[in-house]
Amino acid sequence: MAKAKQPQPLARPDVITRLRAYGRDHLRGLVFSLGKLYRQPFATTLTLLMVAVALALPACLYVLLNNLQAVTHKWEDAGQITLFLKINTNEDAIKKLRSRFEDHPKIETVEYVPADEALKEFRARSEFGQLLKGLQDNPLPPTLILTPAASAKDTNSLNQLVNDFRSFSNVEYVQLDMQWLQRLQAITDIVRRAISIIGAMLAISVLLVVGNSIRLDIENRREEIEVTKLIGATDRFIRRPFLYGGMWYGLLGGIIALLLVLIVLLVIKRPTQNLVGLYNSNFQLIFPSFRQSIVLVTSSIGLGLFGSWLAVSRHITKIEPT
Amino acid sequence: MIELQNITKRYPENRDALSHLNLTLEPGEMAFLTGPSGAGKSTLLKLIAAIERPTRGQIFINRKNITRIPKRKIPALRRHMGIVFQDHHLLYDRNVFDNVSLPLQIAGYAQADINRRARAALDKVALLDKEHVMPITLSGGEKQRVGIARAVVNKPAILLADEPTGNLDPDLSAEIMQLFAEFNQVGVTVLIASHDLDLITRLGKRIVRLRDGKCVDTQDSNNNQYYEIMN
Repeated sequence: MAKAKQPQPLARPDVITRLRAYGRDHLRGLVFSLGKLYRQPFATTLTLLMVAVALALPACLYVLLNNLQAVTHKWEDAGQITLFLKINTNEDAIKKLRSRFEDHPKIETVEYVPADEALKEFRARSEFGQLLKGLQDNPLPPTLILTPAASAKDTNSLNQLVNDFRSFSNVEYVQLDMQWLQRLQAITDIVRRAISIIGAMLAISVLLVVGNSIRLDIENRREEIEVTKLIGATDRFIRRPFLYGGMWYGLLGGIIALLLVLIVLLVIKRPTQNLVGLYNSNFQLIFPSFRQSIVLVTSSIGLGLFGSWLAVSRHITKIEPT
Repeated sequence: MIELQNITKRYPENRDALSHLNLTLEPGEMAFLTGPSGAGKSTLLKLIAAIERPTRGQIFINRKNITRIPKRKIPALRRHMGIVFQDHHLLYDRNVFDNVSLPLQIAGYAQADINRRARAALDKVALLDKEHVMPITLSGGEKQRVGIARAVVNKPAILLADEPTGNLDPDLSAEIMQLFAEFNQVGVTVLIASHDLDLITRLGKRIVRLRDGKCVDTQDSNNNQYYEIMN
């Protein structure tokens, strides 16, 4: 019986070599998985479009909402607080009040409309001007028109200011004609939440789409997986190209989604300009910023990786050579 | 090198594929496993490669008990074995060189070593000129030689083969068996399942006969000659 000779086994590679091999395997997985996608153009295109549309929909809604908010923000600029003073307020008290508002940190400008001027204006502008002739006294109060500072233009601070001014002794009535803006803001809050929910649901659908593609890919390569397991491959080694496959779906799908968003914006650009032209506004459509684009693409990559990880962790350990 | 102690393997809803089987292969030994189909030849090889686990009994590889080896340690075990299959099990989406070098890639060798070792293995099976060819274009015998090159590329201590000549004509079969004998010459422990009795008796190695999951007869190379005379 041949007992004497024992084959000299190959020395196990040292740590540095194994680390370099590890990097090499990663690079190979990256390129190999991209090649796989390229070699199945139809299936790949289908998956990428599903991913892209699912991401582009909430992204578009988000961008449009941002635009809507930019428009309403401009309208808020017009927000002024009108203070009707008590009819018999004397000039001294008015002067005091004016200087008080001029020093107020949250008030930008103060405009004073004396009662007689208000009456003149009313006569000039209103058909009811004739009616006033029958009155002995001027029924109109002196008025202060305040423009809030930019830092106090949100509804909360405006309401705060209005409440403060109401308690002033010579002030009869404070008017803030912004209720419709507040309602609009409430609606946009609802829409924002709806977009978050839609986005979350579509993110799940991206997970499922990528997970399913990777699962099919694993099924198609079942024999290859069995063979590599038989020659000593670890699950991690086998998993790698599939995870990279998911990453590619995410990256490419995210880029296509971004392009779709840009196309949508370009399509509505002209009609929007027509519309804002009718309102004499110089509003410009806001495109997604570089940062927002990066966020879109990286979250798409994350979803792709996670989706493939779900498929891989479920299916690869189950495939064993028989 | 390989030791099976009182091994029983029972598949669900089946009679025992192997029952109370004992078999020991010394380091550097070469043996054939033979018997009618269904005798348990493939099952025995699968137990050694930890593809299946025994229902009862103990298995030792290189004095290590692998009977209940945890799943995560199986890759390391298989890196010390070369396995050759009847239907080659080559990967058809890559060329011959990439097929042969795969075990080295998996084990994490440096690219230069991989190139050197893979070419040496291909040279050994006389297929160095086909390294860039896709496996689909190869003949049956060539595919089997690629499979053997892949099995020996990381210089395993153990070489297992399940009907490696099952689909080959007699001349090619002899050539393949000769190749296994050459690996055995340099000290590799070789266990080959084959029903080609004519061929394996000619090689003059130990023959282990299985029937109904039992070892019915084992001959070593000495009384093999006697067997040859008797036939």
